[in-house]
Amino acid sequence: MRRIAKHPILDFNNRKKIKFYFEGTEFIAYEGDTIASALIANGIDIFGYTSKKGRPRGLFCCIGKCSSCLVVVNGIPNVRACITPVEEGMKVRRQVGKGVTKEVKEIEE
Amino acid sequence: MKNKKVDFLVVGGGPAGLSAALEAGKRGLKVLLVDEGVRLGGQLVKQTHKFFGHEGTYASVRGFEIAKILVKELKKCKNIEAKTMTSVIGIYEDGVLAWDRKANEVFRIESEYTLIATGASEKYIAFENNDLPGIYGAGAVQTLMNQFGVLPGENFLIIGSGNIGLIVAYQLIQAGANVKAIVEITDKVGGYVVHLNKIRRLGVPVLLKHTIVRALGNNRVEGAVIAEVDESYNVIPGTEKELVVDTICLAVGLAPSIELAAMAGAEVIYIPELGGYIVRRDEFMRTSVPNLFVAGDVSGIEEATTAMLEGKIVGLTVSSEKKKMNLLGEIKALLRELEDFRRGPVSERVRRGFSKMGIKTVSGGFRTEVQRSKGPIGKLRAVIECPQPIPCNPCETVCAFGAISTGGSINGIPWVDYDKCTGCGLCALKCPGLAIFMVKEEVEKKEAIVGIPYELLPVPEEGEKVLGTDRDGKPVCEAVVEKVVKSKDKTHLVYLRVPLKYVDTVRGFVVSPREKYEFVCRCEEVTVQDIEKAIDEGYTDYEELRRYLRIGMGPCGGRTCRLLTLMILARKTGKRMEDLSPGTFRPPTIPVPFNAFLEGDKN
Repeated sequence: MRRIAKHPILDFNNRKKIKFYFEGTEFIAYEGDTIASALIANGIDIFGYTSKKGRPRGLFCCIGKCSSCLVVVNGIPNVRACITPVEEGMKVRRQVGKGVTKEVKEIEE
Repeated sequence: MKNKKVDFLVVGGGPAGLSAALEAGKRGLKVLLVDEGVRLGGQLVKQTHKFFGHEGTYASVRGFEIAKILVKELKKCKNIEAKTMTSVIGIYEDGVLAWDRKANEVFRIESEYTLIATGASEKYIAFENNDLPGIYGAGAVQTLMNQFGVLPGENFLIIGSGNIGLIVAYQLIQAGANVKAIVEITDKVGGYVVHLNKIRRLGVPVLLKHTIVRALGNNRVEGAVIAEVDESYNVIPGTEKELVVDTICLAVGLAPSIELAAMAGAEVIYIPELGGYIVRRDEFMRTSVPNLFVAGDVSGIEEATTAMLEGKIVGLTVSSEKKKMNLLGEIKALLRELEDFRRGPVSERVRRGFSKMGIKTVSGGFRTEVQRSKGPIGKLRAVIECPQPIPCNPCETVCAFGAISTGGSINGIPWVDYDKCTGCGLCALKCPGLAIFMVKEEVEKKEAIVGIPYELLPVPEEGEKVLGTDRDGKPVCEAVVEKVVKSKDKTHLVYLRVPLKYVDTVRGFVVSPREKYEFVCRCEEVTVQDIEKAIDEGYTDYEELRRYLRIGMGPCGGRTCRLLTLMILARKTGKRMEDLSPGTFRPPTIPVPFNAFLEGDKN
């Protein structure tokens, strides 16, 4: 578990639990978590894979600047996990490559 | 499309943006503040250390507490609207476009004055495998652990020894992680001496003239190769070393987030001393575009304190123009304050950068000598180990007896007047650099008292034995905790009793772990205490203990623990070993996979 249980300065206890899904598996987050902090806390370091070289991508800047953490949320790609709060029942998936929207998918099909 | 018309638009809710919005809002301007993040406060929300500076700039207050204060003030001001999760996506000739990500809606903002306070982003460096998950900007790790309470790993390597690298190392240890090393490519540490001393006391090695060569691992970081470099920063072959780490923090500097200001047409210049490409501005923070201002890191990488001062200057300048108020006196006072902050050696680079931009700075004019005297032996007193001029003076202002002076300038080295020092310890509790210690020699006892500021867990108990450590974190002697002064702001003062000869040596301590384990059953992790407790509860037979504690039910089948358990049972119940039943022995002797049986059945 990567949650800090005891801290000399800060208190992270007594927060409401939130259920969300990553790649179809249920995970627990806490109120105040972003998608990124919830994934990292659950031991998930790979948020997606790159389009050209298929490299694993994880969190990098955590403040909405670098766009390394793009994930697919409830079917919508290119969501920055680090500045998006996690919500009850949210379905998060790894993003592969540039991310394909529903509309683009329909046109392609 | 929705249109918002305001007097003053502030882009970025960090220290600069919040300060500007507050000054303008208080003076009656209609202000809109937008920020991309989920919370206001910018990077203040993850700063758990106490800030340097003086009382007027929240010195000795932890960064996240400063954010709380500013946001609370903001909420009180009715003519300021603050929108989080809102990204400004473009500045056009006829307005600004912003995307409210919560409502998923783009709207237009018309503002008479605009401040771009977008901060900075982490710089990146090239090395093999530098894109592996587990490699973070140092600030990202700080966000994860201090804002969200999540540690992304156990063993960390930090690249870069500026203030961010040093602070993150310290905070990682506070959060319970290990910092294997900080590597620094140059031949000197970039951050403040007091920050360096804090992590040295915790035994973190700082490797100068070292760099990272590659990250190891396939799907995430599993290690790192570091090596020594020559004068031209090239790796010296044969000096490579492998470190087992699971997380790498890049603390190699910040790059101003100039995009919005640049697209608005503001002149951008390259000044490496200020972080690279920055927005040119005058001393009132005006860019080359009329009514467009910058403040904070976007106008040159500095500190949150200077960002707040710059933000205030913008808020006042905009107010004075819009409301035709004369605020020049207040603005000039802030400019003088900035000038004072930047006088010292730690701002040398920044001063060089400003002079390239045509902004006047001054240097020197403060005390640089360290106090030689360590005060009268035998008297309980403060000893200050703050050898580098930095803009900070809470030690001076907190002392009720006027015993500490920085010599008339905030950058001056503090000295103690030992006739006035009463040994109260308030300065040691307040010092943001944890650089003040309390000492008292008890010569006849051949002992001494050393008071050490402490911000880690566990907090020791009075009377507890600890290991006294020196300025490099190396153990030097046994020490006994004499007294613990607990403080509301979580910096405690722990007084140790040490042998007299270590009065000048002991500057830290290690507490023995709170949870002590004496294992009996290695497989199921059952301890002597668990067994004794169960026996006291009435489980006085091996089979009962097995069912209750699962002792002997692990993969070893009781080979390690059976005898030891029976010996504890004999001792506790007063029975002879010979009279105890050793319990049943059941197959299988070792774990066997079921498919082995299936395979066996086939043949």
